[in-house]
Amino acid sequence: MLRTMLAAVAALALSAGLAGAQGWTGGDDLPTNPLPCDGPAPAPEPMAYNGGEPANPPDRNGKPLTVVDVPKLIGVGYFDATSKGMQEAAAELGNMTITTDAPVEANIDDQITVIDNYITKGVDGILFAANDGVAIAPVLKKALAAGINVVGYDSNAEPDARQWFVNQAEFNGVAKTLVDKMAEEIGADGSFAIVTSTFTTPNQARWIAEMAAYQAACHPEMKWLETVEAQEDNILSFNQANTLINKYGDELKGIFGMTSIATPAAADAVTQAGQCGKIAVVGLATPNAMRPYIESDCVKSTVLWNPVDLGYAAAHVLRATADGTLKPGDTSVKAGKLGDLAVIKGSEILLGDPFVFTKDNVNDFDF
Amino acid sequence: MTAKKLIRHETILALLVIVALFVLDRQSDRFFTVDNLFNQGRLMTEVGLIALIMTFVIVTGGIDLSVGSIVGMTAIVLGVFWKNLGLPLPLAILLALAVGTFAGFVNGIIITRFRVPALIATLGTLALYRGIAEGISQARSVRGYPEWFFVLGQGSVLGVPTQLWILGLVALLSAVALAYTTWGRTTYAIGSNEVAARFSGLGVDATKIAIYAASGFAAALAAVIFVSRVSTTRSDMGTGLELDAITAVVLGGTSIFGGRGTVVGTILGLILIQALKNGLSLAGVKSDGTVVLIGAVLILTILVSNLFHRDANR
Repeated sequence: MLRTMLAAVAALALSAGLAGAQGWTGGDDLPTNPLPCDGPAPAPEPMAYNGGEPANPPDRNGKPLTVVDVPKLIGVGYFDATSKGMQEAAAELGNMTITTDAPVEANIDDQITVIDNYITKGVDGILFAANDGVAIAPVLKKALAAGINVVGYDSNAEPDARQWFVNQAEFNGVAKTLVDKMAEEIGADGSFAIVTSTFTTPNQARWIAEMAAYQAACHPEMKWLETVEAQEDNILSFNQANTLINKYGDELKGIFGMTSIATPAAADAVTQAGQCGKIAVVGLATPNAMRPYIESDCVKSTVLWNPVDLGYAAAHVLRATADGTLKPGDTSVKAGKLGDLAVIKGSEILLGDPFVFTKDNVNDFDF
Repeated sequence: MTAKKLIRHETILALLVIVALFVLDRQSDRFFTVDNLFNQGRLMTEVGLIALIMTFVIVTGGIDLSVGSIVGMTAIVLGVFWKNLGLPLPLAILLALAVGTFAGFVNGIIITRFRVPALIATLGTLALYRGIAEGISQARSVRGYPEWFFVLGQGSVLGVPTQLWILGLVALLSAVALAYTTWGRTTYAIGSNEVAARFSGLGVDATKIAIYAASGFAAALAAVIFVSRVSTTRSDMGTGLELDAITAVVLGGTSIFGGRGTVVGTILGLILIQALKNGLSLAGVKSDGTVVLIGAVLILTILVSNLFHRDANR
């Protein structure tokens, strides 16, 4: 009896392990939409508004708004930057107060509870960055039903659970930029590996899926070695990058870092291994984290958007939604100093093209 | 005797709950509304189910750190059985409950048959079950459950959230089981002196295995309700839930060394934590401040209770 049970547990664990060993890249299952290899992106197809609507909202046009901003978690540089952008916008507009409150860990249940409490408390608007787009949907729908204006940024929810989503950069655009930069550095037939956060993080999984699709279409000779998880942890990211360098030796020509923590850690591992110039590092990271490696020429380019602008745009979009100046069917929205931003995919607002930080411009930024 | 009875931990805690509810009510006029209270009950159910059975575990002098991971594993199993294997959802729910119970049963076997301390055994299965969950799910979340399933986590029966009925039923059953049955007295006996209990001819191992299996079942039930509440399945569900449950149990006056504790205390502990989380948030305290305050309340309550307890024994 006991033996059968232990065997059952072992078999279960083993099958789980084996499932992980089949050359899986870390992407998700959703359909991909790779951009063309050369030339401009095709104009987005116009799509009917697919966001939600608050139920009987009061007339908020020009009135002071109380807004809560619920990012994935608090206490990290990235969301400090988005909240800084929101405060900038609020100061500029002069008729909204934004409080940032979120769990100290990126946990779906805690985030839902925080939002739920603010609905009970009564706010005019909710800005959110979802830890899980589906799990957060019921509570956001509840907010809409309570007449609250709901706008997402950074990480989306189900479209009908919010009114608008400010998209920092399209997944296929980021994927194209990353893979093109890598191909430039390691050649059309180089081998590369990826250090990501966890396979469950939606944004990272989406980028990797788009990267795989774009690479297969436009750089078919490149070789995808492995994708490793490193949480969002400095030491683990460094160790994982180090393991990759030792495991693949000369075969490894490039490392992608998928988070603001993995990319500098990978650059650090390459620097310490004395492989600068032999192993390229391309990834998503903030300029402050990458400055030393860019200045020492170990890293040529880092891809990201400006999170301060992202928060700034999200606050403007919420204000415009509450005022009624941004309505379903509109094709653009005015966002203060950022000018007109385009509406894509029915109910998303695109911040712009991904930004590439290089030695020439990295010192113009501080975040 | 009567004086001693009056200053039991549960009495102090009940007073504290009343004071807290009163103070929080003064801070926000939206706190004491039926909607908010039911809603808080909804949010409390998963940790509540786990904490109720955790009371039994801790009364035996044991601990179950794997419950959060069992939540993750059974949630994934539910999703995979339904979506990937195409089983009917009710059957998938039953199988998920069976898997959770089995996971708890395995804990019990490791602890009783191999004499591994509960802390180490369940620390091991904490990692093991989470690993299995992540291995099976491969980061794919399972979505698109049918509408009727959401009644469990998002709907109401007779005006009260569905899961509150379940929580109430489990609370009633466990309170009766711990206080008034032979099984409950065996639980206390094991926690007070396991060797003496064994020599008294009590079924120590069988009772422990049953309790850990029940703990696994409670975690699985919590997982099903959680999936229904958030309408999706992820392998990282329930991360850290074990600590929330243990906090409620210990705040409720259950001794971490075993032999002492009641279900009523756990329920009061749960209510106090949930009321603080919700009430402070409504009063405008941010979540980081709330966490600090809950930690302080836990330590203070135990200190005060120990003070009175010693006085009463003197």
